Amino acid sequence: MNEKENKGGNNDEPNKKFSIWDLPDVPMGQLPPHLQLQKTRVVCKADAPIHTDNISYSGAYASIGVDNSVHLDLFRDNFKVNVIRLTKEDMEFDMIGIDPALANAFRRILISEVPTMAIEKVLIAYNTSVVQDEVLAHRLGLVPLKADPRLFEYLSANDTPNEKNTIVFKLHATCKRGERRTVYSEELKWLPKGSELIKEAGQADSKPTTYTSFTCSQDMLPEFSEDPISPSEDKIILAKLGSKQEIELEAHAVKGLGKTHAKWSPVATAWYRMLPEVLLLEDVEDEVAEELVRRCPDKVFDIEDIGHGKKRATVARPRDCRLCRECVRGEGWEERVELRRVKDHFIFTVESTGVLPPEVLFTEAVKILEEKCERVISELS
Amino acid sequence: MNAPDRYERFVVPEGTKKVSYERDTKIINAASFIIEREEHTIGNIVRMQLHLDENVLFAGYKLPHPLQYKIIIRIHTTSQSSPMQAYNLAINDLDKELDHLRSAFEDEIANYSSTREY
Repeated sequence: MNEKENKGGNNDEPNKKFSIWDLPDVPMGQLPPHLQLQKTRVVCKADAPIHTDNISYSGAYASIGVDNSVHLDLFRDNFKVNVIRLTKEDMEFDMIGIDPALANAFRRILISEVPTMAIEKVLIAYNTSVVQDEVLAHRLGLVPLKADPRLFEYLSANDTPNEKNTIVFKLHATCKRGERRTVYSEELKWLPKGSELIKEAGQADSKPTTYTSFTCSQDMLPEFSEDPISPSEDKIILAKLGSKQEIELEAHAVKGLGKTHAKWSPVATAWYRMLPEVLLLEDVEDEVAEELVRRCPDKVFDIEDIGHGKKRATVARPRDCRLCRECVRGEGWEERVELRRVKDHFIFTVESTGVLPPEVLFTEAVKILEEKCERVISELS
Repeated sequence: MNAPDRYERFVVPEGTKKVSYERDTKIINAASFIIEREEHTIGNIVRMQLHLDENVLFAGYKLPHPLQYKIIIRIHTTSQSSPMQAYNLAINDLDKELDHLRSAFEDEIANYSSTREY
């Protein structure tokens, strides 16, 4: 770096050079503030966001002597998890210090690669309702089942259905003459001993066989004896019956992935967003402050009194900002308010359908990602 | 009618290897890894981890076609390391990161549940 004293006032000197390290406010080995902003924040302007890319290349700042590589220890020291809300059905938590690629991978795995149980085969014995067979079977498939998929195995095409890979449900609903009734998902009865429908036997003297061959009853297992398998919601409408209509069917549920069909997805949905940061670039006072508070639908701004009857706007709840950009729309507002996002702070929300509690779902997702990495490296040899 | 079966997206057929490796004949220290039946979930993560390595000059992944379920990861390194080494290092580092992430998450959940019973 060619360093020369910057003589103030001598602006007509030829080949005058100065280096940024001469500036008094840049600490050695760190980035100057404008580059730090570019690297760690997405700035959301009124028309489009800028600085959205991730500068992860380790030699990005080599020309100014700053090392951009990340080692495992740096990740360990910077990574944090904060749980904001945790109920039986959904969870909101913050992950600080990870890359968007990892956050997106967790979202994708939660939606499509965590296995669950869902009804796949429906054996319909009698259906005189207005809901057609295939429509009824489709609706049954979408009902979420409260069964832990880790206790079951996958059923492949040439396996026989037994108690380790199938769950059997029965539905028998009739409607009395002159009435109408709705069939809810609570009427799906779990049959722990397996299928009850008898197959057409080829030989007349052989024992009648059913569609599944359970060697022992499923409610012998300790997990199921106290907590019987059932749909996770009781009041899902399956069909509506009119006078003297009847439905009698048996449904077999198997293990699968959301990738194959959305009925096997364990989350209602899972999403993430980056932590919002809202800055007031200049003092916003009096009527302008009132208008700012009025404009924001998420109540991000607040008014505070600073004496002499003057009011000033402050940023009270930046986390609630949903980037509607109302506060930067119009003449002159972009100089007053700046909307930003922190690039490595993700707010995850996971809504479970009831199969597994949401924190277990996330732990399973991390395990599945680890298994994928294992497979990708071990198969190479 | 022409759609391939859904299980084709993740079931590797008999005879094809899950991961294969091709060295680039024209550039030294450059190679492509072809991973069958994987997509952006793994590709983007491995690419991100490769970028953090100082010896990697170029790292990228692509899906040649959305209906062919494979990814190609291309790695160029300096002479200090080789693409195979960089790939192994990246995935091993990822493993450790994920382990740490999982234990940090489980600790935080345990802390949260113990401070407020629900």
